[in-house]
Amino acid sequence: MRTLLVSLILAGAAAAQNWTTYNGTAQSTHYSGLDQIKTSNVAGLELRWVSQADSLEKFEATPLVIDGVMYVTEPPNTAVALDTRTGRPYWRYERPVPPGNYVCCGNVNRGLAVQGDTIFMGTLDAYLVALDRATGRKKWETKVAEYSHGYSITVAPLVVKDKVILGPAGGERGISGFLAAYDTRTGKEVWKFHTIPQPGEPGHETWSGDSWKTGGGSTWVTGSYDPELNLVYWGIGNPGPDWNPAARPGDNLYTDSVVALDADTGKLKWHYQFTPHDEWDFDAVQVPVLVDLNWRGKQRKAMLWGNRNGFFYVLDRSSGEFLLGKPFVKQTWSKGLDDSGRPMKISGTSPSIAGTDLYPGVQGGTNWYAPSFSPRTGLFYLTAWENYHTSYYSWDQEYEPGKSFTGGSARGPIPSLRREPIIRWGPEWGYGVIRAINPLNGEKVWEYKMLDVSDAGILTTAGDLLFSGNREGYFFALDAKTGKELWKRYLGMQVADSPITYTVDGVQYVTVAAGHALFSFALGPGR
Amino acid sequence: MRRTVTRLFSLILLFSSAAAVEAQHGSIAEAPFSTPRDVAAGKQSFRSQCAACHGLDGSGGAVAPSLVSGTFKHGGSDEALFTVITKGVPGTAMTGFALDGREVWQLIAFLRSLNVARSAAKAPGDAAKGAQVYQANGCARCHTNGSGSGGFDGPDLSEIGARRTLAQIEQSIVDPDADVDAAYWSVRAEMKSGQTVNGIRMNEDMDSIQIREPGGRLRTLMKADLTRFEIVRTSPMPSFKDKISGADLQNLVAYLAGLGAAAREAENK
Repeated sequence: MRTLLVSLILAGAAAAQNWTTYNGTAQSTHYSGLDQIKTSNVAGLELRWVSQADSLEKFEATPLVIDGVMYVTEPPNTAVALDTRTGRPYWRYERPVPPGNYVCCGNVNRGLAVQGDTIFMGTLDAYLVALDRATGRKKWETKVAEYSHGYSITVAPLVVKDKVILGPAGGERGISGFLAAYDTRTGKEVWKFHTIPQPGEPGHETWSGDSWKTGGGSTWVTGSYDPELNLVYWGIGNPGPDWNPAARPGDNLYTDSVVALDADTGKLKWHYQFTPHDEWDFDAVQVPVLVDLNWRGKQRKAMLWGNRNGFFYVLDRSSGEFLLGKPFVKQTWSKGLDDSGRPMKISGTSPSIAGTDLYPGVQGGTNWYAPSFSPRTGLFYLTAWENYHTSYYSWDQEYEPGKSFTGGSARGPIPSLRREPIIRWGPEWGYGVIRAINPLNGEKVWEYKMLDVSDAGILTTAGDLLFSGNREGYFFALDAKTGKELWKRYLGMQVADSPITYTVDGVQYVTVAAGHALFSFALGPGR
Repeated sequence: MRRTVTRLFSLILLFSSAAAVEAQHGSIAEAPFSTPRDVAAGKQSFRSQCAACHGLDGSGGAVAPSLVSGTFKHGGSDEALFTVITKGVPGTAMTGFALDGREVWQLIAFLRSLNVARSAAKAPGDAAKGAQVYQANGCARCHTNGSGSGGFDGPDLSEIGARRTLAQIEQSIVDPDADVDAAYWSVRAEMKSGQTVNGIRMNEDMDSIQIREPGGRLRTLMKADLTRFEIVRTSPMPSFKDKISGADLQNLVAYLAGLGAAAREAENK
């Protein structure tokens, strides 16, 4: 355990001054080895600059920082390079959003990938674009999918060796999902993995009739890569139609699964399905966190996963073996998991014409925003929605290309921002919460309660700090060991991305987006 | 049921808007003012109303597109131009202008006279030979031409033929300093440490300058750290006056004027 923790720390330290990928480290831990800002001085954190986007749509992007330059996407379809000391822009790449372009949940984009002098961006009109890092000028573009059929790209791409990997959103529009790899120099497609198996492919038998054709299986949150195993891990979205499971009998692979693919060929090595035959829109679009653990006396290459379905999982990432699964929020759909990790569904929980009340609600126990793992504390941290429920309705719906295809609705607690907190309509008030979980037993170690829920990811650092935010508009730093609040600022609008940290000229910065603006903090003079 | 009602409603909308378009057709089918005198009057209006954003010669500026290509983003018909001029384009810097009908038509007549596409076809040179001149002189070291390769230090030439007249293209080759886009101005600065810094000026405010150094490094200079700095409005591109002339020059101009022709044709469809 200790040697592995040390190697994780070294890996973090080597790349410490920059933040070069969506998930921050090779292990996707959203952990930084920087410790200039620490528990003893974080109270002196001061605002250095704000950068406001032209659009009023909220930021969901996690910026990249390389040698003092920040590369980030602004909604809806813009990439921008900023100076990290002043916030002033160097260049902008703006791509128009064509009329009829549909994105389920806002014209958002989660960020960029970089290799050498090239920046990669997925676009709302479902293209992959390569930009020159110095000028923002387009080098090439490749059409990934047809936007008029409900496909869009909101995910930050992942670069693995000479390939750039990404896939579409559109699980609410009857897409047939995939994950694809493109040559980083030319943009030519190298491999494509169908998240909904086509006829003749293994797993196709888990779909009845023609239901696979509109089966969903989006790939809208960035996965991870283990170079030793040469495996790419990616979480797959919900089956379609979301709330009419009668239209698609079967397990509906590989929806709501994590897949492990050979990075060179895209061939499936293993999969694990968190929610077979999902009836509630429990996308498995979370970041696969890669951690090496001493698991009951044996060294394991593990994967930690807080799922939208309300369960926390530990898997063996070499084999996909299920090691542990335990609820981290109130849930009423499953009696638990059997020895193989398959959930035991409680009867009477399916969506219905009259509506079926269920925990967790449609936004899940957690969702797409990044969790974090600190090798210093050995804890897994995630943002959760506790005591949160929704009424799920189901009805028959015919598929029309490019149109909404959900087969029902999930009503209740997602009013727009700046109203009452969303979970107050139930018999017992719910709340948003940051939870620290011991991955060795799935037990909660501490929690930090909020009034409203949160769509903010988490950053932990070698200064034993945890940074996150919430819908209430707060950005805060906690003691990663205890959950004690050490610093907090009101930024005036929802935080819906993951904070990052980096150094420029020896100064450690922390940057987070709130609403449609980026905020950068560093220690004040004398700290 | 709900779907049927929605469809019926859309049909009604469709019919009523079709009727409106037809009525417009009846009244403003063709540009009624298009004599040389109208073009001259249109030019006057253009200078007072449009040039601040679209440039004196209509070749576009930082916030407004070029109007010389013969194709227009929001529709190239006389009617579409009339609507854009009088109503503006929602969501852009283009506002509607309160001109009388005659003035609008004269403006449209002037815009028609700018059409570069027509002048490109008149280029006397041989575009195929011009492509060889482009290659032989290393233009691709700094420029892209839509072929998927080339450098990013200089302006993108992929659609230059749709934005510049023959005369403008020729001038940029033989006298690059004559008209330099602000995006390619340079900064020469001296730091308090004595170090000199230079690069393409990408942005500036009261306290800082953002530059792209030779080699592509992005860098921010704080003015407080400088002993002096100057903005150089000449082009980093050398003049090719002595290297490319005569038929070679005409051929190169013809080649460049043809770049973007495919995009132009696609837009016209």
